Amino acid sequence: MARVFRARQLQPLCVLASLGLGLSGCVMFREPVATSPPPVTTAPGTTSPGSANPNPAAPASALPPPAPPPVTAPPSTRQFRLGAAATALVAQAHRQAAGGDPQQAIGTLERALRIEPDNPLLWIELGEVHETAGHYEQAGGIGHKALQLATGDPHAQSASWHLIAESLKARNRNAEAAEAQHRADELSPQ
Amino acid sequence: MKIWRYVLAVVMLCGIALALYVAHLDRIVTTQFEGRRWTLPAQVYAAPLELYAGEDLDAGDLEHELQRLQYRHADQADRPGSYSRQGSRFQVNLRAARFADEVRPATLLKVDTNDRGISGLTDTAGKEVAIARFEPMLIGSIFPIHGEDRIVVTPEQVPALLPAALKAVEDRNFDTHHGIDPLGVLRAIWVDLRSRQLEQGGSTLTQQLVKNYFLDSRRTAGRKIQEALMAVLLELHFSKTDIMTAYINEIQLGQDGDRAIRGFGLGSQFYFGKPLMELDLAQVATLVAVARGPSYYDPRRHPDRALKRRNVVLGLMAEQKIISPADAQNAQARPLSVMVRGSGGYYPAYLDLVRRTLRRDYREQDLTEAGLSVFTNLDPRTQELAEKILERELTRLDRQRKTKGDPLEGSVVVTAPQSGDVTAVIGGREAGFDGFNRALDARRPIGSLVKPFVYLAAIETGRYNPASIIQDVPVDIKLPGSPDWKPENFEHDINGPVPMVKGLARSLNLATINLGMDIGLDTVRHSLQRFGIEEDPPRIPSLLLGTFELTPLDVAQLYTGLANGGFKSNLRAVRAVLGADGKALKAFNLDVTPVAQPDAVFAVQMMMEQVIQRGTGVAAESILPTGVVVAGKSGTSSDLRDSWFAGFAGNAVAVVWVGYDDDRVTGLTGSAGALGVWDRLLTALGPTSISSVMPDTLHPVTIDYQSGYLPAAGCPSEPVTVYVPLSFTPPTAPPGCTMFGGAQPGTQPATPQPSLLDKASKWLQSITHH
Repeated sequence: MARVFRARQLQPLCVLASLGLGLSGCVMFREPVATSPPPVTTAPGTTSPGSANPNPAAPASALPPPAPPPVTAPPSTRQFRLGAAATALVAQAHRQAAGGDPQQAIGTLERALRIEPDNPLLWIELGEVHETAGHYEQAGGIGHKALQLATGDPHAQSASWHLIAESLKARNRNAEAAEAQHRADELSPQ
Repeated sequence: MKIWRYVLAVVMLCGIALALYVAHLDRIVTTQFEGRRWTLPAQVYAAPLELYAGEDLDAGDLEHELQRLQYRHADQADRPGSYSRQGSRFQVNLRAARFADEVRPATLLKVDTNDRGISGLTDTAGKEVAIARFEPMLIGSIFPIHGEDRIVVTPEQVPALLPAALKAVEDRNFDTHHGIDPLGVLRAIWVDLRSRQLEQGGSTLTQQLVKNYFLDSRRTAGRKIQEALMAVLLELHFSKTDIMTAYINEIQLGQDGDRAIRGFGLGSQFYFGKPLMELDLAQVATLVAVARGPSYYDPRRHPDRALKRRNVVLGLMAEQKIISPADAQNAQARPLSVMVRGSGGYYPAYLDLVRRTLRRDYREQDLTEAGLSVFTNLDPRTQELAEKILERELTRLDRQRKTKGDPLEGSVVVTAPQSGDVTAVIGGREAGFDGFNRALDARRPIGSLVKPFVYLAAIETGRYNPASIIQDVPVDIKLPGSPDWKPENFEHDINGPVPMVKGLARSLNLATINLGMDIGLDTVRHSLQRFGIEEDPPRIPSLLLGTFELTPLDVAQLYTGLANGGFKSNLRAVRAVLGADGKALKAFNLDVTPVAQPDAVFAVQMMMEQVIQRGTGVAAESILPTGVVVAGKSGTSSDLRDSWFAGFAGNAVAVVWVGYDDDRVTGLTGSAGALGVWDRLLTALGPTSISSVMPDTLHPVTIDYQSGYLPAAGCPSEPVTVYVPLSFTPPTAPPGCTMFGGAQPGTQPATPQPSLLDKASKWLQSITHH
């Protein structure tokens, strides 16, 4: 299994958002779908290189076991969640941000990112704090990073585009901002 | 009569002079001592280890970390800095600690583990704890060159035994005398005469403090008088507690190269690796023994003398009823238990990077005197593994090659892919030696490490993808004012048309040059610039083979961008800086800037995976854990001088350089030298697969690795998966398997049976590079 996304059964993030004492732009997610998406499997059409590629020149004993497929196509739907530790840190970051200390919140979210560096939800949270702190360019870069990680999760993709749109708008790049917001709206669940 | 008037005048003048002198000394004593401002070097801390349920940290790992942080194993974790263990259940009494973002009091934590790692954390009330952390490990301080280093302690941070022991051994009338103790001097002389050795000194603690604090080490009668006068003055102005605290923070306890170890706070860290408050009786007595003569009683260089003196100290303590005779005997039976120097905890190359980072924002004086706390990204576990593996592999290479003369040198940099956090820096083979920092200062040609950026730039033009056929054929490039440039492949072979994936995996020079010249040198240079190269490489064709020089840290910046999916994060050694008052002065925030098309980067990552699967990195396959997908690239400079390997897993980017400082030929390719360090290090770190997800603009296709065609029925083929734009379909093989050995229209004839050659060379690599 090349990429196993560990879907943990956790509080949905909207609960956190309410803990965040009205922090604007907090990412809201609906209840997770009833069945969590199955662990990612081989992409359609991908031949596992290991199984199809025994190297005839090498002695059989030296052959490594079949390697797993390198990566996978994103499943059409998946939904990122946060682990318990990251959930607690996000809640703490919301309190810090609401208390007027965005720098503390940034430090706390970076702490969470060291635990789940590939979770787009954390990047979106971090981007939102930068946005409120006026670090618009940072927020935009983080939005694009979140978008890359969010592949396959329309909710997270939508939130990433929204963050990108906000950061563009703050920099008076209104046409691009509108385009980004349009993408966010397209992806957001009706 | 007249003569008496002269005498009187002289006496009066002397009196006035003396009074002036005393007043002068008094001013020195009061002004300098009042503020009691020691120069406080910035204290530098490693990244704290986080604890949370689900973390990949089993009982063995946890115990190892507890020992690294010098936690005491006990039946009851009743004191901060101690822990108890029952099978897979731990109770850890976490020390009070200051982090970049909070002050945490000492906390008792229950940690349950299973074979996968931590299964649960609870507090004393049985309530679940989502996340907790160890205190950050002190890894050093930034002291001035030829300077002093110290950790200042308050009276509350001093175990009661310490002042008692100091008084018993050095100055038993400390509580009652007025700075000098004539009776004490007499007794000391008597004791020393009787035992015919220097067991007791005559100076009071106050005098010793004055000598350390105000005077230099010359020993003259004048100095002695000055010392006595100042001691009396000090006692006039300050309380005994103040003087004792000052003594505890001031006295020298050792020397570490150019660095003076001052005070018991630092002495405790220097010799025992833990806070002063946690020392046991034997350890307190050891420090008191060392205070008598830090070089003569150096417990590392002269353990016998130190042990003997420690036991004398314990004896005196028992004699004066500070401890019971039984306690003294128990403690006397204990070994010195001083940490071995160089057994970790000292990372000069990393500290060097920290110091250089901070120099951009702070004056040198602020760093060495203002008492800053610096929180870094150093991961002690990663750092120690990298040190150990580099040393071991270099020793193996030296032995294997039977090189005469100097041993090989090496350097390693490890970063976190998604954040640019620098987790380890090894500046040389002798990692604990504060010398030439190769990671930051050795600029060497990077060789083929440049090639992923050539292929990336090509894919970004939209005209190429990993299945595109490129020409591995000889080039003859005219250069103004110099002979034509006619480079060759490393193995002097010519492979004709090859898919891009093979060009990169095999590190084919000719294919890369043809590709690079087609897209243009500036396209490649811009790609490198965006990924964060400090100096533009010269605009010459040989840049395509990496003839320009970078440091291992520069390479880490470039490769972290590749690992991070085309996002540049400035490498960070420092997270945050706090002032002496605990207020945040500066935070170095994580930044990400998109610098390349994510789908192009993904395609290149997958080609770099093939470097490990079947290319120049194939020797790593048998070392790395089965099923873990990693990506990398070898680099070799001309004439086999520099051996590089750089690459990444999902949780770490590692760059390894192996070579000689004087640029001599090592005879090592990147695969034969640096790769052996890289794969073993990554394996030891517990690598996760690269976490990239295929962008929805791409789809995977399987082609024949040798020809680039779709595998055809009945033809020998070596299928490889590459990631290409949705619109692209690889060509179908011509009938009759003519792509193998057969000429193709519009291309130069390929060498006969390249696939067999490939396999043979791969087999050769696999036996020579292990």
